[in-house]
Amino acid sequence: MSRAESVLRARGVARRFGAQIALEPTDLDIAAGETVALIGPNGAGKSTLLSILAGSLEPSAGTVERVDGIRVGWVPQRPSLYDRLTARENLELFARLERERQPSAVAGELLSMFELPPDRPSASLSVGNRQRLNVAIALLGSPRVLLLDEPTASLDPGQRRRLWEMVSGATVVFSTQNLEEIGLYASRVAVLQRGRLTFDGPVGEYERVHAAEVFT
Amino acid sequence: MSRVALVLRKDLLVLRRSPLLLSLLIVYPLLVAGLVGLVAGYGSSKPRVALVDEDHLPPVVRIGGREFRISDAIDEVGKNVHLVRMSAGEAARQLRAGRVVATLTVPQGFLRELKTGLTSPSLVYQTIHGGISSRVTQQVQALVYTLNRRVQQAFVGTDLRYVQLILHGGDTTFGGKTYHVLGLDRMHDLLVRLPKSRERDRVAEFARIAGVALGQTGNLLASTANPIALERAPEKSRSSLLSAQVQAYALALTITFLALLLAAGALAAERDENAIGRLARGLVSLGELVWAKIALAAVVALALGLAIAVVFGVIVEAGGVVGGEPWVRLPLLAVGLLLAGASLGALGSLLGALAREARTASLVAVLVVMPIVFLGLVPKQVVPAAGWISDALPFAHAVRYFSSSLYDARPWATVVRELAWLAGLGAVFGLGARLATRRLLA
Repeated sequence: MSRAESVLRARGVARRFGAQIALEPTDLDIAAGETVALIGPNGAGKSTLLSILAGSLEPSAGTVERVDGIRVGWVPQRPSLYDRLTARENLELFARLERERQPSAVAGELLSMFELPPDRPSASLSVGNRQRLNVAIALLGSPRVLLLDEPTASLDPGQRRRLWEMVSGATVVFSTQNLEEIGLYASRVAVLQRGRLTFDGPVGEYERVHAAEVFT
Repeated sequence: MSRVALVLRKDLLVLRRSPLLLSLLIVYPLLVAGLVGLVAGYGSSKPRVALVDEDHLPPVVRIGGREFRISDAIDEVGKNVHLVRMSAGEAARQLRAGRVVATLTVPQGFLRELKTGLTSPSLVYQTIHGGISSRVTQQVQALVYTLNRRVQQAFVGTDLRYVQLILHGGDTTFGGKTYHVLGLDRMHDLLVRLPKSRERDRVAEFARIAGVALGQTGNLLASTANPIALERAPEKSRSSLLSAQVQAYALALTITFLALLLAAGALAAERDENAIGRLARGLVSLGELVWAKIALAAVVALALGLAIAVVFGVIVEAGGVVGGEPWVRLPLLAVGLLLAGASLGALGSLLGALAREARTASLVAVLVVMPIVFLGLVPKQVVPAAGWISDALPFAHAVRYFSSSLYDARPWATVVRELAWLAGLGAVFGLGARLATRRLLA
């Protein structure tokens, strides 16, 4: 992949938590329009890498470059929202923080798109609805790249399908434990094992050569 | 709307959605203000004291040839103590039951002893043990002091009349008989009419010197009766009431508790709700997040502080406490509430960032409040180290600011000094909180 096509570039990003190494120095380029599946066992460093790419976690070393200052949407593994606010209030708050010109209108559109109950406190929403609200917030500000950390883990099959329909067309990096999603939605696979990037290539090559080794 | 304002508005909305916490925020200051009002009312209330008159004092007593009304002396003391006449048995019962806080007994023969002036008669005073007893004792001592002064004035007056008689002569009654006294003046006049002799001149000179000396007796007797007079200097403060200090402490204690708790809990809650990661992606910087929590503490401190001041003022006005509530000083108080709230909010944010979890942060904040308050109560002159530590925390400065802004006639020097302290401490704690907030992202 050429550098010119990349919209998001990580160079030598690494992260330590005290003495523990969560991510060893890693290079990753994300090109416009591709859907990258980030896979690996629990504790491999997937969430750490996505958090660094999203800008919510500072790397201990290395840099992340957003080409032309593109906007990046982030869906953390655990919903990132305010429980005492309603779905509408959460969306309007983050819309204002994202400098949306019409925060109320945008919030209304997303509520409708994700079929979310607007006026109930978020704490009282079902797990699935909370995750959909989590994704809806990530779409504020019209991001060109979406970083999704196990976005479908708590969704039923119908909700999973609708989620992928909603994010289709965007540049997506997602982590998953659901290997079916790789074949269905990913164009590229990056494998992390014990904090180290051990594979980065097309889906076909991954399935042919590495699939059996990753989770053993 | 700025990012700080957006986060602040969200926090206020969350606060409104927390019924238990909101109730606490409303009830707590009302409770504190009510208790403070009661203390202020107690400060100006009249303790009930039983007066047992076993000597059956007449309304008007004649001592040393001068009349004075016992009831006037009692009324004077009655401005501070409510004296109630009752029998000895009833007084003992009411003292045991706590319906009177003390008994003051005029024993039989009191007036007779007083009139003779040979021995000092005694009033018998009995009180309960407890916080109020010292105050009642002071009032009874004031009563005895007043009585003593009046009796002294009567005796001095009588003595002076005798002196005048010796000086100028006249008629006087003693033991039922009327006597005519020549007097030193006329004695001198008679002597100078006698044939001149050395003895006559010596006696005449003695009469002259004795007359001059006795002429000074009035002032000497007056100064002997009251060698030291107590004169009240003009007040510099708007009010010297206990309630002024109590109100300052109530305000400082309330906002210390709330500002620390709110700022610490609200900052740590950003991590608990996993929102800080989303905010830190460029939506709201960590510095802005700390600012929002400081602003939250300042706004709540302002609102609740003013609510306490208003409730306290209403209670004070209704209770007719001397000095009343200085309503015109509320804007000055508001400035202090805002800055003290911000300074405490910065300290709370630091605690929240260090604790990382909302529950831990709230617990730490609650645990930290009491030592901060108690350190602020220890006089620097008694334990210097406590004073130094207290100076490094906002509570003591808030107390001084509130007290001065409400009750000092010239508060500006204190107000400016304490504002500078609060701003400086707020900046230091705010910087610490900003640095520590990085821990919330880990």
